[in-house]
Amino acid sequence: MDVRDDRPSPGTPDLPRDPHGGEQSDGVSRRGFLTRGVAALAGMTSVAAALSPLRHLDRDDIPSIAEFFQKHYKEMTAEDKQEVFRRVQEAVKRHHGVDVELADPGPLAGVEFVYGLNLSRCIGCRKCVHACVKENNQSSAPEIEYIRVLEMEKGSIDVETANHHYPEKVVPDADKYYMPVQCHQCDNPPCVKVCPVEATWEEDDGITVIDYDWCIGCRYCEAACPYWARRFNFTEPAVAGPLNTDMAYLSNRPRPKGVVEKCTFCLHRTRVGRMPACLEVCPTGSRKFGNVLDPDSEVAYILRHKRVYVLKQDVGTLPRFFYYFDERGSRYHEPISEEVGS
Amino acid sequence: MKKYATFLYDCFRLSFVGDWRYQLWMTILTLFSLAGLYAYCQQFVHGLVTTGMTDQVSWGLYIANFTYLVGLAAAAAMLVIPVYIYRNLHLHDVVIFGELLAVSVIIMCLLFVMADLGRPDRFMHLFWRFNFPDSVLTWDVIALNGYLLLNLHICGYLVYCAYCGRRPSAVFYVPFVFVAIGWAITIHTVTAFLYVGLGGRPFWNSAIIAPRFLASAFAAGPAFIILTLQVVRRYSRHRVSDDALLALRRIVQVAMIINLFLLACEVFTEFYTDSAHVASARYLYFGLHGHDALVPWIWSAVGMNVVAALLLVLPASRGLRWLNAACVLSIVGIWIEKGMGLIVPAFVPTPLGEIVEYVPTLNEIVVCLGIWAFGLLLYTIFVRISVPVLAGEVTYENRLRKSGLGPIPGTTATS
Amino acid sequence: MVLGAFAVLLLLDPLRFASPVAAPDSVPDWATDPTPVRRPSESPEYRVGVFRYGCSDCHRIIPSASEGRELPIQHTEIRLEHGINTRCLNCHHPTNRDAFVADSGAEIPWNQPQLLCAKCHGPVYRDWQHGAHGRTNGYWDTSRGEQTRRRCIECHDPHKPPFPSMVAAPGPDTLRMGRQQVGDHAGQDNPLRVLRHPRVDGAYPRIDGAEDVLKEGP
Repeated sequence: MDVRDDRPSPGTPDLPRDPHGGEQSDGVSRRGFLTRGVAALAGMTSVAAALSPLRHLDRDDIPSIAEFFQKHYKEMTAEDKQEVFRRVQEAVKRHHGVDVELADPGPLAGVEFVYGLNLSRCIGCRKCVHACVKENNQSSAPEIEYIRVLEMEKGSIDVETANHHYPEKVVPDADKYYMPVQCHQCDNPPCVKVCPVEATWEEDDGITVIDYDWCIGCRYCEAACPYWARRFNFTEPAVAGPLNTDMAYLSNRPRPKGVVEKCTFCLHRTRVGRMPACLEVCPTGSRKFGNVLDPDSEVAYILRHKRVYVLKQDVGTLPRFFYYFDERGSRYHEPISEEVGS
Repeated sequence: MKKYATFLYDCFRLSFVGDWRYQLWMTILTLFSLAGLYAYCQQFVHGLVTTGMTDQVSWGLYIANFTYLVGLAAAAAMLVIPVYIYRNLHLHDVVIFGELLAVSVIIMCLLFVMADLGRPDRFMHLFWRFNFPDSVLTWDVIALNGYLLLNLHICGYLVYCAYCGRRPSAVFYVPFVFVAIGWAITIHTVTAFLYVGLGGRPFWNSAIIAPRFLASAFAAGPAFIILTLQVVRRYSRHRVSDDALLALRRIVQVAMIINLFLLACEVFTEFYTDSAHVASARYLYFGLHGHDALVPWIWSAVGMNVVAALLLVLPASRGLRWLNAACVLSIVGIWIEKGMGLIVPAFVPTPLGEIVEYVPTLNEIVVCLGIWAFGLLLYTIFVRISVPVLAGEVTYENRLRKSGLGPIPGTTATS
Repeated sequence: MVLGAFAVLLLLDPLRFASPVAAPDSVPDWATDPTPVRRPSESPEYRVGVFRYGCSDCHRIIPSASEGRELPIQHTEIRLEHGINTRCLNCHHPTNRDAFVADSGAEIPWNQPQLLCAKCHGPVYRDWQHGAHGRTNGYWDTSRGEQTRRRCIECHDPHKPPFPSMVAAPGPDTLRMGRQQVGDHAGQDNPLRVLRHPRVDGAYPRIDGAEDVLKEGP
């Protein structure tokens, strides 16, 4: 193949034949202009057609100017917060038809939360899962559940042996033990480390929170969590049943599409002194919650006297969630009552 | 300034000119790009539920393509090393194509990341609160955007100087080229570190990931350029010597052998130890508890890579037919191995032992094809512009001689 | 032209979104009900049909058999399955049936059942006192609200104490979950399985009852 040849050769694309030889002297011919105009119009039309699905966008999907410039929670002044809460409340009213009041309880002084879970007592009934869903206004379609109860094989602490999908059978199964897992509110949280925009952070009372209006939905935190505790809103969440109107900005207010959420130890309850919803509903009292800095608390007693351990300690997350066995762990040697209780 | 504006305008016009094959190629790419845009709009309206991703497998085809393309971008700068460090002058003429590939591929990477975000409307939050240096993602943002700017500058400067008819001044591009060499290694290492640093994913938490990334990138990238250069040679007047292609072949050959060696290291470590950490690797290569969707993929990839390596080692691949076959096998094999063979298995099983398999949806695939098409479109335009400009056929002076109103010089019979 | 045709095609919405999410199954109300499993009566009484008698109403007058687990005439529905505690009067006061009996023979009031259980279940009682056993509802911070410590018999039937089994609430059904094995698949990964086949020459220590305890396999 020859190069540097000015004569057009058939195979070279950068030298097309000029079909309108005579009209080029003034530069742009009318025909050329029309062709180009039609081409440009076709181009713009096809781009518009490609963009056409956007006509289905909801009003809330497009951020308003105020939302666009909304600050990170940690930078908000009290007035900013009022404004933001008002916006969120209005959106809740629009979507769910309910008037709500967003609380914003801060961490209590001298309090660090710790959660204990008694593996000798958990029977795997999954009531905690559903109480949490109801309390925290989680989506039912697609289903989001912060708590996952694992049916574990005796002899193994490895979650590889766990069954997540045991059926609605009579529990407890005599050969298994049950280990509910939720966000451990780690003291060295890998999710906080990896978030590129600091949308999630650990507060002074130990709870790792998320600013749902700051999260960009990259899901790096979801990939980083060793306990599979984080959930993502793949679409607009659909809450089944009535909304829980006792809401806080950082915990159970309805979340938008495209952001990550997780267990917050029910901070809208626990920061005003109440127990979290999962604990309230647990029929056997396997769940223990409180302030570890208070030496008289239940959790302090458990940590002092029980054989506690943490899950996946080797990953170095320093969780605030402890599992323990009672001294009386021998119930499995006896036949469990066949009768189903009320 | 006015000169720069006319330069851009001439580039714009030049990209529409070409024979029927060029127009057909561009039309196809445009159609795919528009389809991708349409599919993305569907995703923007409904959320990421239009993809096959789940809470269990929360990163899928988008991040897989992103990972692969960062490797391609890094390797594009590989061409620079032989030229500027080893003074291999065979490759001198083709360095620009590597740099241009880097630009278009980085843009594709950024588009894939944007497509993967749950809230792309909030991506400017990165500017307000940037979790540097804790989050490796922030390092990646800096690395990728810096690399883009670096290559844009180098290519733009060289092409613009040719357009203006003056010699490029070494101080404005040679230091940047050397920085780009180091930066290329960095972008891919940082992307590897995104995955390596996560203790909760034992499949990724291994020191071998970063070296494997680089090895496979340096096999796939130059392979891509070998194919591209042959297209450039065939359809334009730019001279590409066979020695350049053979130099690139040498790079792909060595990189592929290293890649296979590192694969063997990884496989041995996982399966000989046979600890609980092997679950993800077992899922990938053999299936786990009856779930085996990825098994045929990974074995095809390994097969392709092995065949490619053999071909490259044999003297038969000095001939273009076998070389092209080896390149295609490398590109596809490494795409599978790096995309589906690296990203997806780390999520199966989940950190709690659940197995949920990932199947990309049609919408997701169309978005990926759209971004690939758009990237190829950009690359075609870049090559389309730079060949005549660098050859001296399209310059500012030519333009002035035609009073700025004629058809673009170098594109018609008159000159 | 091609672009125009394609534009028309796109406007017809070929990739229209079909949601993979089905309407969720409703969750039964009991799954979110925090009421304890038992509601013991507030005062000592015996109910027969619609009639309610105070315990001492009869037992002031009627003597009762002090030994034996089986009751001949009344209270025949009570079956005592309290392990080795087979004697009614171990717990019930022999003369005042409105109360329970302490080790010394003194009365334990009806509304203090935990003092009764503590007679034998010392360690559990100690845990209960510190909140490590049993249910604590309400407020963890007692300075801000009331905390309710549930007493023993709100979970345990004193005549048949093992905590009753329940039916588990619905399991997870997350987005695009795919088919999941409902039965367990994990038997083969269990390190204890080696104990099911102890070597005959005695090289492995035999664990009595190991075969009974472990399931036969997946």
